[in-house]
Amino acid sequence: MSKEQIFEKVVAVLKRYTKNEDALNGVSVSTNILEDLKVNSARLVDVILDFEDVFNIEIADEDADGVNTVGDALQLIEARIG
Amino acid sequence: MIAAPAVEAAGANSSGGGSNRLSTRSRLALAVQSLLVRLAGPITLTGIGLAMRHLYGFTFYDLREIRRRFKAELKANPGPVLIAANHLTFVDSPILTWGLAPTWWYALHSAKMPWNTPERRNFASSFLARVVVYLFKCLPITRGGDRKAVTLVLDKLAHLLKKGHLVLMFPEGRRSRTTCIDRTHAAHGVGRLVKAVPGTRVLCVYLRGDHQHEYSLLPVKGETFHLSTSWLEPATEKKGLRGSVDITDQILTRLEAMEAAYFDDRE
Repeated sequence: MSKEQIFEKVVAVLKRYTKNEDALNGVSVSTNILEDLKVNSARLVDVILDFEDVFNIEIADEDADGVNTVGDALQLIEARIG
Repeated sequence: MIAAPAVEAAGANSSGGGSNRLSTRSRLALAVQSLLVRLAGPITLTGIGLAMRHLYGFTFYDLREIRRRFKAELKANPGPVLIAANHLTFVDSPILTWGLAPTWWYALHSAKMPWNTPERRNFASSFLARVVVYLFKCLPITRGGDRKAVTLVLDKLAHLLKKGHLVLMFPEGRRSRTTCIDRTHAAHGVGRLVKAVPGTRVLCVYLRGDHQHEYSLLPVKGETFHLSTSWLEPATEKKGLRGSVDITDQILTRLEAMEAAYFDDRE
């Protein structure tokens, strides 16, 4: 799966939870999921679980801690896909 | 006891938090806090007791039986204990702490007075507030805040559980807006903590005042509380974050059952 494909799928997942759809238009690797996209912190767990389902991967608790930006998510998913 | 399809006992997977990751500095800070809590105990605990009983006029149904059972069960089952309670008001934590055992007992058994994780913005916004919550065994946490800071608090709690301290958490993640168990902001750190400390038993506590009919900051003065307890040994066959979510779900399911029993009894 190419980086672009992963990025598109990540954004598609985030779209379900974001409260700031305008920020999604200019989304980049440096976009902060909680602060910029206004995803509720309690929903971050659901976002990570959706990543698991969409990419068929498993994410550990401590790896989930490192997901602050879209770039963090991409990096984690790429590492898990291998 | 929950009838979970136990494959991986909670704790068998110790990923996601634990005292082995805690720095010497953090361990020392916790030891100092524990000591100061103990030294200040006669004042702080007397203060809690007086405030609950005389200032607010709070009472409990079957208080003697609640306390007898709590002490007997702790004695019969040594090991890590996490208290998981429903969350209705800002002062649930001191109320249920006081309900489970008399203040003099906590003065003698300091480790059994539960540690708390209040929201920093509500309880630790000023210096004085920080001193007070420090002496009441609190490790403030910022909901939705820096993940590393949240992880550090979870690691500290895991360390304390392993050392025989009791820890109190609210798996709903915030006060219920509906006054019933609310899963919409579930705090999955609860499941993660249980998973991180092998053998942790969860004491589910359902606390509710007679006049708790709507979302509120504080119980009414003169309130009488119902407090029920139920022990749970969560287990999960799921790995990683999904395992933490599963354990938190099991705890919330138990609390929902306790809530249903509460309302059934009142009909």
